[in-house]
Amino acid sequence: MENKHITIFHGPQHPGITGNMSVELDLIGETIQKATTHVGYLHRGFEKLIERRTVIQAFTIVCRICVPEPDPNEANFAMAVEELAGLEVTPRAQYIRVMVLELSRLAAQFLWMAGQSGSIGLYAVGQWAIADRDLILDLFEELTGARVYHMYIYPGGVRRDLPEGFLERVSTLLTYMKKRLKVYDDIFINNASFKSRAIGVGVISKEEAVANGYVGQVLRGCGIEADVRKDAPYLVYNELEFEVPTQTAGDVYARALVRRDEMDQSIHILEQVVAKMPEGEVMIKMPTHRKFKLPKDDTWVKVESARGEFAYYMAGDGSEKIRRMQVRGPSLVHAFTLLEDLLVGAELSDVALIMNSLGICPPEIER
Amino acid sequence: METMMFKQIKSHFATDDVEVKRNDLYKVGVRHERLFELIHMLRDEYDYKTLNAITCTDWIEEGHFALTYMLTTEDRKHTFMIQTMINREDAHIKSFSHEFKQAEIMERDLHEMYGIDFQGNKNLKELSLENWVHTPPLRREFDTLEFVNNNLTFREGRDDNIDTKVESKRLRALKKAEKEAAKKAKEAAAAETVKDEEVKDGK
Amino acid sequence: MEHNGFLQEQKTLEGDLNSDTSHKSSVDFLMNWFRKRSIFVLAYGTGCGAIEMPPTFTSRYDAERLGIRGAATPRQADVIIVSGYCSYKTLRRIIRTYEQMSNPKYLLALGSCTVNGGMYWDSYNTIKKLEDYLPVDMYVNGCMPRPESILEGFIALQKEIGEGKASSWQKYEENYEFYRKNQEAVLGEKVEPSYDADWYLYDGGL
Repeated sequence: MENKHITIFHGPQHPGITGNMSVELDLIGETIQKATTHVGYLHRGFEKLIERRTVIQAFTIVCRICVPEPDPNEANFAMAVEELAGLEVTPRAQYIRVMVLELSRLAAQFLWMAGQSGSIGLYAVGQWAIADRDLILDLFEELTGARVYHMYIYPGGVRRDLPEGFLERVSTLLTYMKKRLKVYDDIFINNASFKSRAIGVGVISKEEAVANGYVGQVLRGCGIEADVRKDAPYLVYNELEFEVPTQTAGDVYARALVRRDEMDQSIHILEQVVAKMPEGEVMIKMPTHRKFKLPKDDTWVKVESARGEFAYYMAGDGSEKIRRMQVRGPSLVHAFTLLEDLLVGAELSDVALIMNSLGICPPEIER
Repeated sequence: METMMFKQIKSHFATDDVEVKRNDLYKVGVRHERLFELIHMLRDEYDYKTLNAITCTDWIEEGHFALTYMLTTEDRKHTFMIQTMINREDAHIKSFSHEFKQAEIMERDLHEMYGIDFQGNKNLKELSLENWVHTPPLRREFDTLEFVNNNLTFREGRDDNIDTKVESKRLRALKKAEKEAAKKAKEAAAAETVKDEEVKDGK
Repeated sequence: MEHNGFLQEQKTLEGDLNSDTSHKSSVDFLMNWFRKRSIFVLAYGTGCGAIEMPPTFTSRYDAERLGIRGAATPRQADVIIVSGYCSYKTLRRIIRTYEQMSNPKYLLALGSCTVNGGMYWDSYNTIKKLEDYLPVDMYVNGCMPRPESILEGFIALQKEIGEGKASSWQKYEENYEFYRKNQEAVLGEKVEPSYDADWYLYDGGL
């Protein structure tokens, strides 16, 4: 029978795609022969916009670079400006930054659970996960004023101190989360239909993972203990105690187990932060917070987001404006080099599953 | 081990001193003809196996692009920034896509944004823009606000929209003038009463 | 206003829905009533605002009690939500998707980027005023709008549908030259995406 070959677009308008991007698939029947990723639907020209702005003007738009998890962007921006300008942040501000980053990581992992379970049809998990994530967003709203785009971590510290009784509310939430995550184990992680769909699908080998520059849970799912918080510690992570979970199989199920274990580790870190929070100021005293003179120098800073290593390159030129800021998110290499490789030979119904497990987020690819 | 590596780089490639930015970040500048040799040496002898990013900064005043390659060791504990300068006009450099698979997409991104030709990269198609015929956008001579004002229209604004800095200055000056006038009037009134009393007394 | 739990909240949300005044006949009234009680939203997250759409449609803010639920393809959807800024590439696909939807259809614009460019007012790749290219029924402002704001936007849209006032699809058909001229000025002469080839031309034809 002729006409076996067909080319279809998986996205951008598709219920099974993680954001606004598309994958062009060449199929024979339902098996994929070739996959080409298309991005650019969310290109706003951030790097050009930031070149026109001073530090405080750029601070307001930097959090919009990555939509599901904005806080690593703010932390990176603040750390880069502080390195260039030679500022040293107070201990209380560093602990508050760690708390904000870990809460944001927890919220992003809940969003991942909703997406991954929706890709195989377990829609009830999505309803619960988004509702539990909303409880974390309530805490953010109390602390920073906004649910999603916080604009809280500023070069020099954080914008304002914790409200009365905030740490007690965080502890209550953590106790609730520890009990609640066991329910997700029963209905999602140990679910027989998830296991039968996810084991053996999307396998990545260890050597190719290191050579090609993959980051984050892709490396951890292959057995490599890769975590920026342990390899090149930033903020106060060298004073906190936590483990880096790894699995060896390298398939979708291994990455899911890694992410589930990371949620436990995030809760463990948050409990330590709540117990150890020091007193003091949250913003260093500067003559004015509106002007930063950046010398003619450059730097490279990175943090560990929920999806992998997030890095910024920042260069100044002696004036008040930022000369160049380049964003290197974890999804740039995952969406092109890795996805086009993994999808060859896969089935059409596994495309959404694999994309969710790699954690591909298009806004940070094309900025 | 670091000092040995730095000495070898400085003597072999005739560079400046290797700059140590943090305890896990080093930077060196090298001429673009010797770039490949340096990266091969770091990859084969010193374990810098992963290419993390390629970035580019446009120094239009000095007439060159500064390309920076970030390499990381296999245990991810050290990063090396290798910077090289290429000409702004007719910018080209040999591609790394045969040795590092991820370099293909990074070079495609830079080609679209700056117009640099990476010779040997077979996939330099458009990435984020579609049918773009103007200057590559991240070059400094491309003015984004001028482009927007020429090609797109905004919604008509409110007619009574005023500049807040100008307006608050005007209001403050007004308040100050009123205070001065009130003070003067009070003084004049006090002087009047004193004069009246003097006249009364004198009478 | 006392806070009395679900009943009070439901009353404030639905209070306006039953006050329909201008309808031409009882058939019109019934049609509008049916249309506003069953709104299918297209699953298309075009921008930043799409991150607040899962909370609106799941159990905490529950848009399904108002009859709103998701639809997978344009032919099955009533409402397309343009959730934030539109780059040129996305605008092309939104126009193609909007023209595929069958009448009656409505467009809900979220965020300040659709009103006047928003945060990206000086960006070379986003459009500043969505009304020039597609007819908008309801704007919901915010950056980004909270789920409660999105629900209020839907309630206002439902009220307009009930009164027969939401007729942007007719506006698009009557003023098609105006919209097409603006689209071509920004996207070039061929507004459709470049992959628009007929499927039967592959493999040498039928």
